[in-house]
Amino acid sequence: MTGERQALLQARGLTRRFGGLVAVSNLDFDIHPGEILGLIGPNGAGKSTTFNLISGFYKPTSGELTIFGEPCTGKSSMAISRMGLVRTFQHGSFMPTMSVADNILLGTIHGLRDRAARRDRVVETAQMLGLGGHLSDIAGTLPHGLQRLVSIGIAFAARPKLLCLDEPLTGLNQTEVTGTLTMLERIRDEFGASILLVEHNMKAVMKVCDRIVVLHHGQFLAEGTPGEIHSNRKVIDAYLGHRHEK
Amino acid sequence: MDDKLGLPYWAIGTALALGSTLLIGDPYIVSVVNLISIAALTAVSLRFVMLIGELNFATAAFVGIGAYTAGAAVTILDWPFLVAILLAGVVAAAVSALFGFVTLKTKGPYFLLISFAFTEAVRIVYSKSMFLGGNSGMVGIFPPLALDPWMPTFIMAVSAALIFALYAAERSDFGKILIAIRDNENVARTVGLNILLIKVACFALASFAAGIAGSLHAFANSVISPGDFSYLLAAFALAYVKVGGEDSILGPIIGAVLLVSLGSYALGLGGQEHIFYGAAIVLVVLLMPHGLVGLVRRGRDKLAQRRA
Amino acid sequence: MQTAIQLIVTSLQIGAVYILFSLGLTLIFGVMRIVNFAHGHLFTISALMVAYSVPWLAGNGFPVLLAYLTGAAIGIAVALVIGFLIYVFGFRYFQRDMVGSFILSIGLVLLLDGVLLKLFGGAVRPVPEVLSGTVNILGATVTTQRLALCFAAVVITGMLYLALTRTRLGKALRAVSIDHEAAMLQGVPYNRMAMIGFMIAAGLAAVAGALIAPVSIVSPAIGADYLIKGFIAVIVGGLGSVPGAILGGLFVAAIETFGGFYFDPTAATIAIFVLVIVVLLVRPKGLLDNG
Repeated sequence: MTGERQALLQARGLTRRFGGLVAVSNLDFDIHPGEILGLIGPNGAGKSTTFNLISGFYKPTSGELTIFGEPCTGKSSMAISRMGLVRTFQHGSFMPTMSVADNILLGTIHGLRDRAARRDRVVETAQMLGLGGHLSDIAGTLPHGLQRLVSIGIAFAARPKLLCLDEPLTGLNQTEVTGTLTMLERIRDEFGASILLVEHNMKAVMKVCDRIVVLHHGQFLAEGTPGEIHSNRKVIDAYLGHRHEK
Repeated sequence: MDDKLGLPYWAIGTALALGSTLLIGDPYIVSVVNLISIAALTAVSLRFVMLIGELNFATAAFVGIGAYTAGAAVTILDWPFLVAILLAGVVAAAVSALFGFVTLKTKGPYFLLISFAFTEAVRIVYSKSMFLGGNSGMVGIFPPLALDPWMPTFIMAVSAALIFALYAAERSDFGKILIAIRDNENVARTVGLNILLIKVACFALASFAAGIAGSLHAFANSVISPGDFSYLLAAFALAYVKVGGEDSILGPIIGAVLLVSLGSYALGLGGQEHIFYGAAIVLVVLLMPHGLVGLVRRGRDKLAQRRA
Repeated sequence: MQTAIQLIVTSLQIGAVYILFSLGLTLIFGVMRIVNFAHGHLFTISALMVAYSVPWLAGNGFPVLLAYLTGAAIGIAVALVIGFLIYVFGFRYFQRDMVGSFILSIGLVLLLDGVLLKLFGGAVRPVPEVLSGTVNILGATVTTQRLALCFAAVVITGMLYLALTRTRLGKALRAVSIDHEAAMLQGVPYNRMAMIGFMIAAGLAAVAGALIAPVSIVSPAIGADYLIKGFIAVIVGGLGSVPGAILGGLFVAAIETFGGFYFDPTAATIAIFVLVIVVLLVRPKGLLDNG
């Protein structure tokens, strides 16, 4: 693994048990600055658990987490998000009764003290996501695709160094997927943020990710560029085998 | 983002309300008007905590703490009137902050039941405290003599000021955080906000207002006893909020005006207050869950639809 | 040692009533996820019916035991009917709506308070002794009536426990309590389960009321105190947990009895509240949570 620039996030030996069930076991991986990292694996591979572990929503049973150079093992989700790691949730990661503008505003509050500065960032974020025309719409009344964008907007409004997205493409049509992927690339290029993407949409993952980490049965299976992963025997077996298991 | 507070409307409304207090002379009507002002403030305080999605039955406890603080300040410590009122708010807020830090980690039914239990426990403490008058309560809580004829105006002015302050808080960015927490606490947590601290701040702010409402109650009635501050007080406040409509700041105010006026009238007919308030809550909850304000809004929307 | 046994026995028989309450409350919460503050009034209605009908029946020539059983039947029946009405016209629309159902229940509390007060007045009614005499257990004395109450409560609790674990209905209720969506996918009729759960709870309250009438002073206000203790018991034990409700009920009764004896009753009450706060601090979902 290349390590000239310090990794944004380092997980070493990350393990999480729930009673007798080991959801994630001895996981090592890095996220580098300015990259889009995909986290994939068959159902039950431990992607959600890993996601919750690195964002502070679960405490690891053992292992170490270092974020932006600081030891973070066991830190709360609030502390980790204040360091610059912001995540979305798989379902309904937004406030349904509030307007799009107010939703995005929420992301700006911790980082900006000035009311005018917050409003400016809301407008900037909304325009970047293509939500400019929907600022006063109530988020709960919007179609699914726009709601997904609002979720990303809230997280991005916090201008995180590491944006963690939990299956952001679920339920989107092809145009929406393409649009979202373009936007993710813009976030990486113009704002210098890294993005961790948990996704099932394999085509999208192969298209947009700089690197991919594959999990299987809670353990690290493979890591590499999309091309490498695409032709990786172990990965193919894991997915095919999983299909047979069903 | 609609940040306008509608100041002109508030100013006119408050001026009219205050003006009307100058016109009344009948002592019975004076007491009803005082009751309405205090009820409206209590109801607004209860509703403020609903912004974070919690039903706060401890409102009654903090009204009581405010009342007893003001009463003790004036009758035992001989402190000035305004200091007593301010102190009532401060003490209520401080106690609520302590209580909140411990209990706001829980939610929903647990918070509800614990705040209910707290109200009853505090009431027991009053009735056991001899220096607070025990079960018979405290007497002789008088405002300064010069202010006496102006009390209804003063009470309404204080209530109106606090109601407006809570409204401004609700419309500010802080208020939006509160509603966001109610809508989706996890998302709020994930953008770096200190959820517990914010909930406690909301709670303390509402309890400050409740404490002041309690002090106003003490001075308006000059007599207070533990029985005044049972869970019933919170139940009535809830009735005002639900009847008026919890989706708007006007709801609790309208509910208080309506129910207190009708309730006083019903009392005059020899009726039972409890049956009246209880029936009001049951009917509103079953038939008009968004209260009167909700009804008016729906009517307005329907009219707008028909014109379009 | 003597005192300790007496206190334990007293705790058990006080706890018996609290348990009947807390079982009902936890059942309703488990199945419907609602908090019903008017639950205590079903208890009160049943007790009042007994307190009024038994002296009347006894005065009209019924032997005391028969008068009591008839009175109890009347009390339980009336309470069940009222429970059914408030479910069908009210709580049925608030399944899984905690705030809405609570607000409805507060309205019902005020309404029923007022109605009961108007119908029965504030006066208290003594009920003639059904079973006379006292019993000696390990040196502690208990009146036969209270012992019978305890016994009845144990039997009912046992039956409920068996019903929940052994019968199909019981398993359906538990399934709904754990994961109502999964249960519905399996074909469990949720609405019917909610009603059955509510009615069983109402029945428990009604039976408790009928049982308490001979050993306590019956007035329109007796439900409130038991309700609060019942709620505290379920918070401590965990909303939705049957074993928790039983433990919680015993716990509250023990603190009340021992605290009341060694300190004073009000200190004991405050101790109970403090206990709840401590429990919630340590385990925000109760000691044996199932919610």
